Amino acid sequence: MDKEQAWSDWIKERDDPRIAHTRPEALDDITVLDLSHKSFAGCYCSSMLSEFGAKVLRIEPPEGDFIRTCTPYGMLYKGEGLNYLTEGRNKFHITLDLKKPEGREILKSLVGQADVLIETYKPGVMDGWGIGYEQLKEINPKLIFTSITAYGQFGPMSQSRMPDYDNIAQARSGIQSGTGEVMPEGKGYDEYPWAVPTKAGPWIGWAQPATFMAVGILAALHWRWMTGEGQALDVATAEAYARFDDYAALWYEGAGVVAERFGSMDTAAWLYCFAPTKDGAVFLGGLRLEMWQAFADMVGKWDEWGAADWTNLTVFTEKEQQLKWAPLVFAETRKYTNEELVNMSIEYAQKGRLAPITPVVAPVCSPEETMKDANWLDRGIFTPVKDPVYGELIVAQAQHKMSETPVRTKWVCRPVGYNNDQIYSEYMNFDAAKLDELKKAGVI
Amino acid sequence: MAEKTWENYKEKKRSRPLPLKGIRVLEVCTLILGPAGPGFLAMMGAEVIKCEIPPLGDTCRDMTPFGYLFKGYGPVFTHNNPNKYWLGLDLHNSEAKKVFMELAAKSDIIEENLRPGVMESWNVGYRQIKEVNPGIIYIAKNGFGQWGKYAAENRPSNDGASQGFSGYAWMSSFPGQPPLKSRIYPCDDYGGLMGEMAVLAALHYRERTGKGQYIELSQSENIMRAMSWVWPYQQITGKTAMPAGNRDVSICPADTFYCADSAFVAIAAPAPEEFGGLCAAMCRPELASDPRFKDHLTRLKEDNATEILKIIADWARARTAEEIEEMAEKHGFAASRVYTVKDVAEDRHFQERGFITNVDDPLLGQYHTYEFPVMMSMTPPKVKWSVRAVGFDNEYIMAHHLGKSEDEIKQLYECGALGKWADVPGRRPPADWDGKAGLIVAGDGKDKEQR
Repeated sequence: MDKEQAWSDWIKERDDPRIAHTRPEALDDITVLDLSHKSFAGCYCSSMLSEFGAKVLRIEPPEGDFIRTCTPYGMLYKGEGLNYLTEGRNKFHITLDLKKPEGREILKSLVGQADVLIETYKPGVMDGWGIGYEQLKEINPKLIFTSITAYGQFGPMSQSRMPDYDNIAQARSGIQSGTGEVMPEGKGYDEYPWAVPTKAGPWIGWAQPATFMAVGILAALHWRWMTGEGQALDVATAEAYARFDDYAALWYEGAGVVAERFGSMDTAAWLYCFAPTKDGAVFLGGLRLEMWQAFADMVGKWDEWGAADWTNLTVFTEKEQQLKWAPLVFAETRKYTNEELVNMSIEYAQKGRLAPITPVVAPVCSPEETMKDANWLDRGIFTPVKDPVYGELIVAQAQHKMSETPVRTKWVCRPVGYNNDQIYSEYMNFDAAKLDELKKAGVI
Repeated sequence: MAEKTWENYKEKKRSRPLPLKGIRVLEVCTLILGPAGPGFLAMMGAEVIKCEIPPLGDTCRDMTPFGYLFKGYGPVFTHNNPNKYWLGLDLHNSEAKKVFMELAAKSDIIEENLRPGVMESWNVGYRQIKEVNPGIIYIAKNGFGQWGKYAAENRPSNDGASQGFSGYAWMSSFPGQPPLKSRIYPCDDYGGLMGEMAVLAALHYRERTGKGQYIELSQSENIMRAMSWVWPYQQITGKTAMPAGNRDVSICPADTFYCADSAFVAIAAPAPEEFGGLCAAMCRPELASDPRFKDHLTRLKEDNATEILKIIADWARARTAEEIEEMAEKHGFAASRVYTVKDVAEDRHFQERGFITNVDDPLLGQYHTYEFPVMMSMTPPKVKWSVRAVGFDNEYIMAHHLGKSEDEIKQLYECGALGKWADVPGRRPPADWDGKAGLIVAGDGKDKEQR
């Protein structure tokens, strides 16, 4: 065993994203049809698979999918919306009108050559077109047919007319209601319109269900590898996101307590909060008693706070205790800058009374600071993708470092129908004349 | 048709197999980022052996909301650790290391969330394990990965640190207000989920080639991956991406509104037919063709978005959340009250789908919890049983998996390799445990499906 080499060097030599292009891809035997419609979740799900090497045919109506227009402040870059630019990655973009019988026949031929299908239409729409799971499995019994929607494929709300959006999933999950600033006593919405249930800014109500589905797809592929069986998968976005509500369901089930907003403190943990500093805020974490003691020591309060006598961290998570201790902690953190506090914790890990135990101290960054942080730049998250259509573009990538089959982003996006000729020739054997005819008929 | 596919889904769960049946996972994880991932695999049928350092085990065992323990365990812990087998193995001990390596040789996947290099310093790291099991899929999850400046500084991390480091908290607050921490642990949970993406992709690759591999995962990098437009926006404009409270700056209209009954309702209506429906519901059909609002890209522009959101806010303020939900259904746009956890638990739709599921555990009794959220028509995932005391399944694992005799097991206890729970909250079995319920006796045929 080559143990002489330090671990970090040894592994970096094998999983640095800089060498990803020299490595094989885990899913390059898998073909995915992404028919998603008005849904970033569908696009994100197929992106996940494509980063591991799956061949994804992104199928849009001839005019392009509405989701392309969902872009911050209506901003376009080289004609494309910014969200779609990030999740068009690695896919072959083709058009097909599924409302036309001829379009559906083409889809059926593609299904015969595919492993996975992703769709986000309201339940019943695909069935109505004759291309639902029961119909397509006749063509390809090994097909993994997946639907990501607001309410899922069955259950009383499944026939709802309401579409699926990120902010709706977040609202319906029970998570938004318990996140946000606490309304000061005696005050109301008009005075404090920010002290309300607050959703996450990023599209986590779409990205997370999409990732759950991608994980489900891989489990279904494993099952198919063992048995040869395909199946249908169903994700409802609010349910998927709710699954991340780590303690609230059982707290309500056991004690009837509804988790309420607690600002940037933490109902279920101490030491665990954002704390104000001279120049912003830091996160403080100390989920073991010794880490909380180390914090007290680090800010010079070991004796005054009686840290040596603390024996039980659970007591500190009680609400009254948190409200008592938080102002004392914040009074200390306000004396320092973010950088000073971070460095204090790193030094404490080396020289402190409880070293190597040290509290977690992390700066609360703007995403601009994040994007300039040398640590993340070195690790390849923000390495621009060199795209022949869109130029050098920064989309987050290389989040999985792997020694054999690392993820990679090969290109960012393509305009509507960009790969029609190539893909229809490859999969359908259509020649130029046939393609022209289909274009004129509005099928592609 | 979809009705046929999903007919009697809840009942089917009892009789159908699970998709990851036969996959063995060895977990050396604490808190949330680590255990959540193998928890997902366990709900899909993988056999997850959770190794904890006795007698206290996972730090999360007594992590409680305001001091509340659910049936003796921290609810975060119970939520993230279903369907697992519980091994109390002190990896500082040399005999324990041998046991660990024997188990590693018979496992498909190893998951750990220690700081970089710790497993290797214990001689149970990837370089050691791949010698005895070249097909092993090994994932290490933590704040900063295995290399780079922060990893070299050996910084500890938490979910909250990642919410800060990534800009996620910054983007999740109201303009002019300090960055807001989420009530949940999105970076832990999402990191855990993303880890399984890599693990299962690696499993697929192993099935094709026989090759295992090493995976490293940073929770901060994984939440950054989910932040879409923020990065190209900053690159292209040279400006910092700014938070917008509950308003979605990429979808218009999409925001949360305050209603007449003091409830909050989220509304989204960006597509032409949806926006038209909302305008009709507001009895303002002319807005749909107003030049400021006529198409989505125009409507998204700052001034126009501010204007239309103000119009909707005034309208919503005069109605109850329920009235708005009814109008959304009628007119085909999206609206939902901001649900509390009580609303989720009592929602008939979630119940009928089996997302709110009933666990019947031999130790903790019956309770409702959230099901694994991917419904699979042939192989429905499920929560089968709950958490256990530290070292609860030691004898079963030693005898059944490693063929250890009673004497050998006794010696492992005596030398301190194996251990069980301390008699403190979150670590020990429930007070009313009869000393038998839930125990698996090797070879008695009560296999994992029934437990």
